[in-house]
Amino acid sequence: MQKQKTPWQYFVSYLKPFWKGILTVVLLSLISNVANIIAPKYLGNAVTDLTHFVSSGFHNQGNIADFYSALGKMIAFYALSIITMFISWIITTRFNAHATNHMRKNLFGKFQRMTIRYFDNHQDGKLLSLFTSDLDNVYNALNNAVFEIIAQSIGLIGTVIMMFMINVKLAIATIISTPFVLILSIWIMKKAKKYLDLQQDEISNLNGYINEQINGQKVIIANGLQEDSIAGFKGYNGKVKDAMFKGQFYSGILFPLMNGLSLLNLAIVIGYGAYMIVSGEVTKAVGLGLIVMFVEYSQNYFFPLTQVTSIYSMIQLAIAGAKRLARVEAQEEEDQVADGQELTKLEQGVSLKDVHFSYKEGKEILHGVSIDVDKGNSVALVGPTGSGKTTVMNLLNRFYDIDSGSITFDGKNIRNLTLQSLRNNVGIVLQESVIFTGTILDNIRYGKPNASLGEVIAVAKEANIHDFIDSLPDKYDTKVTDENSLFSTGQKQLISIARTLLTDPDFLILDEATSNVDTVTEEKIQKAMDNVIKGRTSFVIAHRLKTILNSDKIVVLQNGNIIETGNHHELLAQKGFYYKLYTSQMAFE
Amino acid sequence: MKILLPYFKKYWRDVVLTTVFVIISAFASLFQPRVLENIQKALIKDQTSGVINDGLWLIILAIVSIASGILSVFYSAKLAQNITSDLRETTYSKIQSFSFANIEYFSTGSLTTRLINDMNQVTNLLMNLFLQLLRMPILIVGSIIFSIITIPRYWWATLLMTGLIIFIGSWVLKKMGIVFEKFQGTMDEISTQAKETLQGVRVVKSFNQEDQEVKKFDQTSDRLNGYNLQIGYWFSTIMPAFLLMGYLIIALVTYLIGTSIKSHPADVAVISPYLNYILTLLFCSLNVGMVSMTFTRGNVSLRRIKEVLDTKPDVVFNEKVPKSALAGSIEFDDVSFTYQGNTDPTLEHISFKANAGEQIGIIGATGSGKSTLAQLIARIYDPTAGKVKIGGSDLREVSEEALRKTVAFVLQKAILFSGTIKSNLKQGNSEATNYEIERAAQMAQAQEFIQRYSDNYDHEVEERSANLSGGQKQRLSIARGLISGAPILILDDSTSALDAESEKKVQQALEKELTGTTTVIIAEKLVSVMHADKILVLDQGKLVAQGTHKELLKSSPIYQEIYQTQKAKEKRGDL
Repeated sequence: MQKQKTPWQYFVSYLKPFWKGILTVVLLSLISNVANIIAPKYLGNAVTDLTHFVSSGFHNQGNIADFYSALGKMIAFYALSIITMFISWIITTRFNAHATNHMRKNLFGKFQRMTIRYFDNHQDGKLLSLFTSDLDNVYNALNNAVFEIIAQSIGLIGTVIMMFMINVKLAIATIISTPFVLILSIWIMKKAKKYLDLQQDEISNLNGYINEQINGQKVIIANGLQEDSIAGFKGYNGKVKDAMFKGQFYSGILFPLMNGLSLLNLAIVIGYGAYMIVSGEVTKAVGLGLIVMFVEYSQNYFFPLTQVTSIYSMIQLAIAGAKRLARVEAQEEEDQVADGQELTKLEQGVSLKDVHFSYKEGKEILHGVSIDVDKGNSVALVGPTGSGKTTVMNLLNRFYDIDSGSITFDGKNIRNLTLQSLRNNVGIVLQESVIFTGTILDNIRYGKPNASLGEVIAVAKEANIHDFIDSLPDKYDTKVTDENSLFSTGQKQLISIARTLLTDPDFLILDEATSNVDTVTEEKIQKAMDNVIKGRTSFVIAHRLKTILNSDKIVVLQNGNIIETGNHHELLAQKGFYYKLYTSQMAFE
Repeated sequence: MKILLPYFKKYWRDVVLTTVFVIISAFASLFQPRVLENIQKALIKDQTSGVINDGLWLIILAIVSIASGILSVFYSAKLAQNITSDLRETTYSKIQSFSFANIEYFSTGSLTTRLINDMNQVTNLLMNLFLQLLRMPILIVGSIIFSIITIPRYWWATLLMTGLIIFIGSWVLKKMGIVFEKFQGTMDEISTQAKETLQGVRVVKSFNQEDQEVKKFDQTSDRLNGYNLQIGYWFSTIMPAFLLMGYLIIALVTYLIGTSIKSHPADVAVISPYLNYILTLLFCSLNVGMVSMTFTRGNVSLRRIKEVLDTKPDVVFNEKVPKSALAGSIEFDDVSFTYQGNTDPTLEHISFKANAGEQIGIIGATGSGKSTLAQLIARIYDPTAGKVKIGGSDLREVSEEALRKTVAFVLQKAILFSGTIKSNLKQGNSEATNYEIERAAQMAQAQEFIQRYSDNYDHEVEERSANLSGGQKQRLSIARGLISGAPILILDDSTSALDAESEKKVQQALEKELTGTTTVIIAEKLVSVMHADKILVLDQGKLVAQGTHKELLKSSPIYQEIYQTQKAKEKRGDL
């Protein structure tokens, strides 16, 4: 496992490429803020000029000329401030969108590289919410918070400098309550963070529940479980509600609290200013001027604090999201063995030697399994449910790594082969067929996207699905999804068989490939499979003995141990477990 | 928005409280500059008592502002969460009333997105509605009135600006609404794509298609990025444009005051307050614009939720009739069925009768309509034409409870839910006793592997039943169907993942124990159905033959073909 980035490091790593843009935004914000501070001064000047003009009895035309020029400068500075703001926003939009896009692509890319173990151990719904809610929160925060924080920091620092330049004592009076304000807001922020984290977790749980329930809706309908499903939903929904309420409350009260505290701070400033006048420390005229000024400054000082706290919940959600995203980024990836040996063609065969394997430490599933598959041979793996047949398949495709022993292809250890070349040579047909959203054509040529329509039709015919596809109005261009009921389960399996046939692999693993296909179709597929198996090395994992009678070797697995090996006749002659299985099947006839 | 109205009514107390506290807090904001102005005036006039007096007012204002602020957040958060949670529950309950066709129409992914993401948008919308949209109009109207009072001669300037803000603002919002909708649609695609590669992760990996998937995803992601950029650019433009407009109006009014200063010398003093009011008006309008971003988004989300709520379940039960179980006879009367969106019927003119207690086998090629026929018995779909009758009653005239009590359905795909083995089995009959559970598990040949767990029936079933094999899932799924003791049991190719020995044991147990039950067995293999009282042979959606094994061997060429193929295989096996 790689070292997990902190949320901060996560953001930095994605924003780094845009440092020029961020620097530009900082500079433009600086200009924008300064211009925004200068502009009102010219408005003040304009008012002063006009007042002078009035008090001169409308005689001093110079005053009115100054008035116009001050007005012009005011507009110029406001325009400068707005234009720089506009440009910096455009830049911010650009780098935020691009950075988020980068995160999204990286997340998906990461998903493609992670181990099967990870997916077997995590809920789909939770992983999905990384795309739907976490990235969304990150984007919102980047979009609204980054510019805001930069702009407000500049405003805050500028104000503090100005205050201390004008009057140190009043400046101290203005900022003296800050520690108290900060402690209070940090306390609230911590509360808010706690509940916002909880909120995200509860939403994830609800998401997982809904996903599972609706995916199993047929069962719910067929068993009339709707009320139970709703009852279960209420539990999750109620937890989401409580967590969200607390999260929203604590993050929501920051803004009005800061607003009120800003007013209280004004009272302190005014009180201290008045005291300075009364105690004779400053003259009345100077004191008044200072108070008027510091009333403005106190507000300018609190404004950034208020703004930052108001976007706080957004930032919290983004940090929580970034943490989860960083956690996924740090997950173990499949070993690609990029510098390993290329498996171009299977020359001798595949062999498992004394293979021990466990999904969870301490719970061994396979206890020293050894199987040899010679090139061109077909080995059938049989055994009762839970004997470890499917597990063997997980190992041959290197979905999981074995604990001890070895798996070799042509004598080369599976761990030393490049993953790409291994899987290019190993074709599998899974128990459960998967259909991807897209056209039928895309689904069949999934493993070989550049295959021609002719090739696709050829394998579809071999898999006995061509006639059905041909009967559809859009034929191979018909759009399908995993959820629409265009295909029956058997037809889905035919599609997945066609998919495997198209890639023409050297070594085949068939995991109950024909279990859902009717006997007539099965016969045709069996023929096609016979052709595919011919000259190829294959490994058939099936519960049905009939489909494996032609195999060169039969391996009987029970409780993770091989109990019998041999061809059909040898095993029958042994009158052992296989014999029992075989005769009980025949007893049906 | 309309769909929220009933909830506002339901929580009217909270609505009133929120409104009151928001109004108090808005007025506290409006009065704040006034108090400050008074303090400054008092200082200039050297009135110490006035300073103290107004200083106290300032402190009171601060406390009122904090209290009303916190209370308004409290009540609005409570309200927003109550409404969202209720709406989510209503929507989920609605989904639970859907037929399977309804669910397929929306797709699981889209329904989940609607219940999670769209609902989150609704929460945001509600929070903004109360905290911002209620507050802003008070501030906006207040500042418009005050700015006109300050300098009535130039009333048109204020109104001109207000008009421009409304005009430009609504135009931009409309434009952005379109982009938002596209954005949301693309977001759905992202979600579907991610979901499919998660579910099919083994397929993706074994075909070495990771790069291809990444490429596809990147294209969608770039499209989403494009919409994000468009939305961002709109906002980056509209806000500065508004600000610029505001300052130009202020400059214009100041200029006009300057040119007419001779006739109105007192107007010098109003420039500063006027500026303040215009800026308040401007910032509040901008705030409204910002908030309406979530509003546009929230409205799109509300529409998507409304789509779900407005959908009529296409299978509706007659709940006015008795809820007790029906007799176990099944009758199809000229039934045809076409899947939604398909032109060719999956079933055509199917008619047959099955008496209570009979065993019915259904056989036919993949895609011949076997599963569809079975699903019509459980009323997962309604026939497009014709009638399906159980115990002599048309299914359309049967209550849901009666139907579920009468028909137990074991699906082709064994789906279990996270929970314990027991909780999954009890889904077939919530009142099942331990004895009944064990008996069903025994019949389904599940007892053996369950007993191997130290926690037996309390053993946990993980999500996607990752800790169970295909065969174990099917056994549990069968046991769940058996547990109900319903007069009709449908097994839709439910033993496909079982080894031959277990399959045989299951069949024997069914024959022995379920003598009074009408059993419908759908099978790929003839051996599974050949002992049935009646075998239905389906071919391309048509019922081409029915009868016993012996009768069909004589009369049905298709049945003969299936039989011959199977036999040939047996022979080859015997070689």
